Amino acid sequence: MTRLRSIRPVLATLVALGMAAGSAGAQQTEQADVLSIGGSVTEIVMALGQGHRLKARDSTSTYPPAVADLPDVGYMRALSPEGVLSVGPALILSEEGAGPVEAVEVIRAADVDFVEVPDAYDASGIMNKITIVGAALGVPDRAAKLADTVGADLRTAATLAESWTGARKRVLFVLSTQGGKITASGTGTAADAIIRLAGGVNAVTDFTGYRQLSDESLGLAAPDLILMMDRSGDHAATVDDLFAMPAMQLTPAADSQALVRMDGLLMLGFGPRTAQAVTRLNHALYGERS
Amino acid sequence: MAMISELQAPPRDRLSRARTLHWALVGLLAVCSLASLQVGATDITLTTLLGKLATGETLGRMERVVLLDIRLPRLALGALVGAALAVSGAAMQGLFRNPLADPGIVGVGAGAGLGAILAIVLGALLPAWAVGTVGNQLVPVAAFLGGWGSTILLYRVSTRGGRTSVATMLLAGIALGALAGALSGILVYIADDTQLRDLTFWGLGSLAGASWAKVLAAGPLIALSLGAALMLGRGLNGLALGEATAAHIGIDVQRMKNIAILAVAGATGAAVAVSGGIGFIGIVVPHLLRLASGPDHRALLLNSALLGASLLILADVIARVVIAPAELPIGIVTAVLGAPVFLWILLRRRGLVDT
Amino acid sequence: MSLHATGIRVRYGHRDALRGVTLHARAGEVMAIVGPNGSGKSTLLGAITGTVPHEGRVMLNGRDVIGQKPWALAAQRAVLPQTSQLAFPFSVIEIVRMGLQSGTAGDRPGVALHALRRVGLDGYADRPFQDLSGGEAQRVMLARVLAQVWAPVAHGQPRWLLLDEPVASLDIAHQLQVMQIARDFADAGGGVIAVMHDLNLSALFADRIAVLADGQCIATGTPREVLTDAMLSRAYGCTLRVSALPTADVPFILPHAATA
Repeated sequence: MTRLRSIRPVLATLVALGMAAGSAGAQQTEQADVLSIGGSVTEIVMALGQGHRLKARDSTSTYPPAVADLPDVGYMRALSPEGVLSVGPALILSEEGAGPVEAVEVIRAADVDFVEVPDAYDASGIMNKITIVGAALGVPDRAAKLADTVGADLRTAATLAESWTGARKRVLFVLSTQGGKITASGTGTAADAIIRLAGGVNAVTDFTGYRQLSDESLGLAAPDLILMMDRSGDHAATVDDLFAMPAMQLTPAADSQALVRMDGLLMLGFGPRTAQAVTRLNHALYGERS
Repeated sequence: MAMISELQAPPRDRLSRARTLHWALVGLLAVCSLASLQVGATDITLTTLLGKLATGETLGRMERVVLLDIRLPRLALGALVGAALAVSGAAMQGLFRNPLADPGIVGVGAGAGLGAILAIVLGALLPAWAVGTVGNQLVPVAAFLGGWGSTILLYRVSTRGGRTSVATMLLAGIALGALAGALSGILVYIADDTQLRDLTFWGLGSLAGASWAKVLAAGPLIALSLGAALMLGRGLNGLALGEATAAHIGIDVQRMKNIAILAVAGATGAAVAVSGGIGFIGIVVPHLLRLASGPDHRALLLNSALLGASLLILADVIARVVIAPAELPIGIVTAVLGAPVFLWILLRRRGLVDT
Repeated sequence: MSLHATGIRVRYGHRDALRGVTLHARAGEVMAIVGPNGSGKSTLLGAITGTVPHEGRVMLNGRDVIGQKPWALAAQRAVLPQTSQLAFPFSVIEIVRMGLQSGTAGDRPGVALHALRRVGLDGYADRPFQDLSGGEAQRVMLARVLAQVWAPVAHGQPRWLLLDEPVASLDIAHQLQVMQIARDFADAGGGVIAVMHDLNLSALFADRIAVLADGQCIATGTPREVLTDAMLSRAYGCTLRVSALPTADVPFILPHAATA
C-alpha cells in the first residue's frame, strides 16, 4: 500500500504529460482510474491523449516509455484478481484473452467496467480498436480523429506497398534462434500480416502459427530478408551469428546480409504505429522511393 | 503380571510429543489463515472489516468481493491443496519406504500434466457442444482425469494375482513419465505461443484462479482421500519393517496399498487440477515433521496435513504480495523456499537414499 | 492344539523348492527345522507364515489359515524373519510396540518394555534402531515378536513363535539366552518352530527336530532319534560323528577335519 503511495508523484507527471499533449483543461479534474491491459490498447489510450487517466498497466504495455512508471499487474493471461482490484480501477480496457477466467469473473463481480478490445491484423481492425477504446473512455470525437489519421497513414503505407511493381521479396519472420533451431512464423499470425501489409511475401506458408523450421525447409523457403524482434535474451542473435547458422547460409538473405529488426510491439502490436512499421519494412525491402 | 504392572508408566515417548504437536500446528494454521485474510494487494484488512462489522457499518461491494470471493476461496483452496500434497507425500514415502518419494512416483504429475496440455492445446479444437458442460474448467478436469487415469494404469500394470509390486510400479512410472513427456512434447510442438505461455504458467502453479466453484469441486474429493489416508498410520509403520513383517503383525498389506494409491491419486489429482504444478511441499513437510517428532505415521499424516496447509497458505501470501499488483506463480515460491531444504535432505541422507 | 502343514509344495520357476512336505508341530514343544543350505527350511517357514505362494494346507490351532484375516492370524502367531529391514528412523521401543495392537497384550503398555528386558536390552528403549549392531537388532526384533504374542496361551488357545534362524548373528551367551526364551515359551504352553543351523543348540533345546534335504522332509523325531551318523551324512552329504553328552544323554556333534 505504501508502494501505491510512492507512485503518486509519477502519476502526477503523467497527468502533466497528458495535458502537454494537448488535452482540454476540463480533464484536470478527471481521476486516474483506468487499467489498460495489452500493449496496443495502452498505446491507443496514450495516443488519444488520455494517459493521465491510466492508473496501471500489464507487462506487455511498454510503449510509450512513460507507461513503464505505472504499476504493473503482471502478464495478461495470469492476472491476480486482488492485484487488479488493488489498483482501484473503475474501467479495465483489455485486449482479447485476459485471464484466468475466474480472475476476470471476480473482477467483473466487483463493479468494475471491463471492456474487451478484439484483436485484429488489418487497418479496419485497428480503427475499430481505437473507436472502442475512445468510446469506453468517453472521448469518441478524439477517437474518430485518431482513427481517421491512423487510417490515412495506413492507406498511405498500403499505397506505397502496392506501388512496387518489381518482384515481391520473400520475408521470413524469425521468432527465436534458441539452441541453433529457428522458430519462424507461418500464416495467420501478426508477423504474417505485417509482412503482407508491407508488400512482402511470407516465405513460409505451410503451417499456421509459430513453428520450428527444419534446416532443409528453411532452404526451400528461400527468404530474401529476415525479420526479427529487437529484444534482448535469446532473440538477440547478431547478424553474423544468424547468417553463420548452416541452414541460413543457403538463403538469399544470407548473401545480402538482409536482416531487419524492429521493436516487437511496434511490429506486431497492431496499434496506432502500425503504418510506421509497414513503411519501415517496405523501405527495407524495396528501398526508399518517392 | 505383577512384573508387568511395575514396568508401567513408560517414558513420555515421541508419539505423545507428536500428538502434542497437532495442537501447535492447528495454532499455526489458524495464524496463517488469519494472515491470508488480512494481507493482500488491496489495503482492505480483516481487522478493519471486523471493526466495521462491530460498529454495524455495512461492507462495501469491493470489500465483500475481495474478502469473500477472492481471499476466502483462495485460503480454502490453499489449505486443501497444501494438505493434499503433504499427506500424499507422506503416504507415498511410507508406501515406497523411501523419504524422497513423492506423489509423482505414481504418475499423477506426468498424467495430470499431459491432461492439462491436451486441454490447453487441443481444447480450442473441440466443438462447442462438447465443451459446453465443462466450459472453462476444461483444463482442471482434464488434468484430474489424466492424473487419476495414469495412476490407475500404473497400478494395474504392477498388480499381479492380487499383489501390487511397489518396485514394478516405480519402474512403470518412469516409463509412463517418459511417454507422457513425449506426448507433451508433440503437443508443445503444435501449440501456438500463447498456449505455450499458458503451459508454462500452469506448470508453475497458482491459486490465482481460486473460486468457490473450484473449492466445491476439489474439496469433497480431497477431504475423502485425506480421511482415508489418515487411517493408514499403523499400516505404514508396519510397512517400514518390510511387507512380510507388516503382514505378520496383522496388517492387510494389499488393502492398505489399494487405499494409499487411490487416496493419493484422488487427493493429488484434484490438487494439481485446481492449482497446477506445486513442488516440494510433499517432500519437505513430512521430512521436517520426522525430524521434529519422529517417523510414527499415526501422528505424521495428520501433522503433514496441518503443516502442508499452513505452508501453502503462507507461500500464497508471499506469492501475491511480493510483486503486487502482479503476483508470482506459487510454484516459484515453494521451489525457492523448498529446493534448498530438499538439497539439505539429500546431503544429510546420502547414505540412506541408496539403500 | 497344533500347527499342521500338509503337502506343502513350492515352485521357484522350474525348480521345486519344496516337494510335498508335511510338518506337525505341537503346542508345548519346540520344534527345530534343520538341514543343509538350500534344503528349503526358510521356504517352508515362509509357506507356513503365508509369505511364500504354495500348494498344500496349513492348519493353525485346528483352523485353515486360508480365509483368516491378517489380524486374526497375528493374534495367534508371531514371526521373526531371518534378516530385519527398516525404513525411517524409528526408535527401539517404537519397533517393539509395533507388534502390540494386534495381540491381546495391546492394552498393557508395560509389555514392550518387559519384552526388551527379556532379551537383555532394557536400557535401549529410546535408541535409534539404525544405530544398533546386527546382534542387538536381531534381539530387538525378537522382543517385538515376544510383545506380539506376550502370553503363550490366550483364550485357551496356544500361540506360536515362528523363528527363522533366531540365533544366526548372536554370540554364544545370547544364543543360549534366545533359545531359553523359546524353551520357556513352549514350557508355558505356547508352540515354537525354529529354523536352525546349529545342530547342538537344536539338540539341547528342541523337543523334536525335522530334517529337510532337497525339498523333502527326510526325518522327524526327538533329537536322539534323528541326530544319527547315518541321517546326518544323508542330509548333509559329509561324515559327522554324533556323540552323547555323558550327563543328560543329549546328542552332540563335533565337526572335525576330514581325514583322507
